[in-house]
Amino acid sequence: MLEIQGLKAGYDDKVIVELPQLALPSGEHCLILGDSGSGKTTLLCTLAGLLTPVAGEITVDGQDLGALRGSALDAFRGRNIGVIYQTLHMVSALSVLENVLLAQYAAGVPQDRGKAVRLLERLGIADKRDDKPETLSQGQQQRVAIARAAINSPRIIVGDEPTSALDDRACETVLGLLLQLAAASGASLVIATHDQRIKGHFHQQIRVGGAP
Amino acid sequence: MNSLRLSFAYLRHKTLSTALTVTTFAAGVAMIVVLLLVNAQLQTEFANNLKGIDLVVGAKGSPMQLILSSVFHLDLPTGNIPLEAALTLGRHPMVQQAIPLSLGDNFRGYRIVGTTAAYPEHYRARLRAGGRYWKKEMEAVLGAEVAARCGLTTGDSFAGSHGLTAGGELHAQFPYTVVGVLEPTDSVLDRLVLTGMESVWYIHEHDSDHDEAEAAGEQQGQPGMPQGDDRHDGHLAPPASPAGPAGGSAARREVTSLLISYKSPLAAVGLPRLINKTTSMQAASPAFEMARLNAFMGRGTETLRYFAWFLIALAGFGIFAGLYNAMNERRYDLALMRSFGARPGKLFALMMTESLVVALVGVLLGILAGHLLVQGIATWLSSSKHIQMTGMLFLVEEAWLFPVSLAVGALAALLPAIRVYRIDIFKTLVHH
Repeated sequence: MLEIQGLKAGYDDKVIVELPQLALPSGEHCLILGDSGSGKTTLLCTLAGLLTPVAGEITVDGQDLGALRGSALDAFRGRNIGVIYQTLHMVSALSVLENVLLAQYAAGVPQDRGKAVRLLERLGIADKRDDKPETLSQGQQQRVAIARAAINSPRIIVGDEPTSALDDRACETVLGLLLQLAAASGASLVIATHDQRIKGHFHQQIRVGGAP
Repeated sequence: MNSLRLSFAYLRHKTLSTALTVTTFAAGVAMIVVLLLVNAQLQTEFANNLKGIDLVVGAKGSPMQLILSSVFHLDLPTGNIPLEAALTLGRHPMVQQAIPLSLGDNFRGYRIVGTTAAYPEHYRARLRAGGRYWKKEMEAVLGAEVAARCGLTTGDSFAGSHGLTAGGELHAQFPYTVVGVLEPTDSVLDRLVLTGMESVWYIHEHDSDHDEAEAAGEQQGQPGMPQGDDRHDGHLAPPASPAGPAGGSAARREVTSLLISYKSPLAAVGLPRLINKTTSMQAASPAFEMARLNAFMGRGTETLRYFAWFLIALAGFGIFAGLYNAMNERRYDLALMRSFGARPGKLFALMMTESLVVALVGVLLGILAGHLLVQGIATWLSSSKHIQMTGMLFLVEEAWLFPVSLAVGALAALLPAIRVYRIDIFKTLVHH
């Protein structure tokens, strides 16, 4: 459950994007549309608790993010919000499986190799589990990033352009997997994109950054 | 996955730079270990050899040379002194004990020392079972190392050769019989062949023809002759003079030096001066000469020690530079972990672990290398027959290397690790 009231998002005390009201029940998804530079990434990061809102309130599962500070916010984010960055940020010193487990290590939750392997199997890259991420294709790395965002069974998975670097087929597959994973754990997907190909899958859409 | 495994993963990921840092660190540690071990063993050996010897009396010359030749058996003797004068001095009321030493021959490079049983007793040497001290001429007692290296034991016989280093002319017609072998004493005794002074007189009085001929050769000063240690410096018996009978008398007999212990410390005030002023002999204080030697060499070891600490500091700086660079390359990874919920403290611990692992591996390798190096030096030195050493000695001081090294490692990681707290996740991962 994600609720937003009178949100002004930005950084360095500059408001970049505003979102007066949003209510997203558990299991429902939302698309944030906008051209590059429109502030959708800023909005997404604010939702994910990576940026402090300039004004307004964000509530995730009844928890007001604004009330959390420092490592309490880190811990809450680690357990409840999965993030897929536009730049995938694979840790090149670690194998694919270790990259997934890293999210559990960082969040300080018990590490579940079985769960990580099942997740990779579901995403069709279990055979790459011991490879280094740089040996994988862009689409495969994208799946590792998804696995990493989903491993802690978060309430919300936010994705920044998770499909825009992929070709049509991979785009369909990856989106399908994301929706499947979200459905399996009752999580909400919040995806920022300018990718027109995935619009059809989302009922709720927010447009930021002026006129279409 | 935990901090340790993660650290290892990162260290493995950049193998070359890790290896370089560890090597530099280990080099510094190894150098300190070598210095500690060599210094400790030299000091122990020096102290053991000097124990209880207050004054050394010998022929005039360099006092340092007298000490080195008579106490440590390193240098050549300064010459000989008349036995009569030595005996007189031994009866002086201030003198507790005077041990005479007669040098001149060697057995395979180990010096043959004509002395009395007081000499081994002074070093608290014990005979191996079945052995005894000499009772008549041409009986010898071997130091532990001599016996082990030459494979001789009680009942065997051997011939000494002329001069103080191997290679001199063999006294084949005057073989010694081994009547005893000493237990190891950690002193110079281990590398000596002990015999009665009578043996040395015996050989050289019966070998006077040979001595005479050679002495004549020396007097003519043959410039091309490779004399070296093979000279007569140490010879207690002078060439028989044409006037005297070949048997020799106590009046003409000589010894190389006397090792003197005082009856009371007060003796130090007057006795050396008395000897130096009123006799043709020289008195040298081992304590004073060793202090002088230490002043020369101590500066050297001190410099080396500073250099070793400098190497360790350099290695610490290497860790710092390595971590700092790694930190820069890794700020995405660290920000990523932060965004996944890792507390800064956890990442601080991660950086620390990495640095401490490097320091720990470095210090372990360094200690190992240091001991191997000393063992190598020991093997190399063992052929010199002067100094004995081992790399298998472990000192309490070495334990200090661990906390000091880990502190260097921790210090090196401090700045990069503190930067973890100031990572801006958004600006690092998204808005770059």
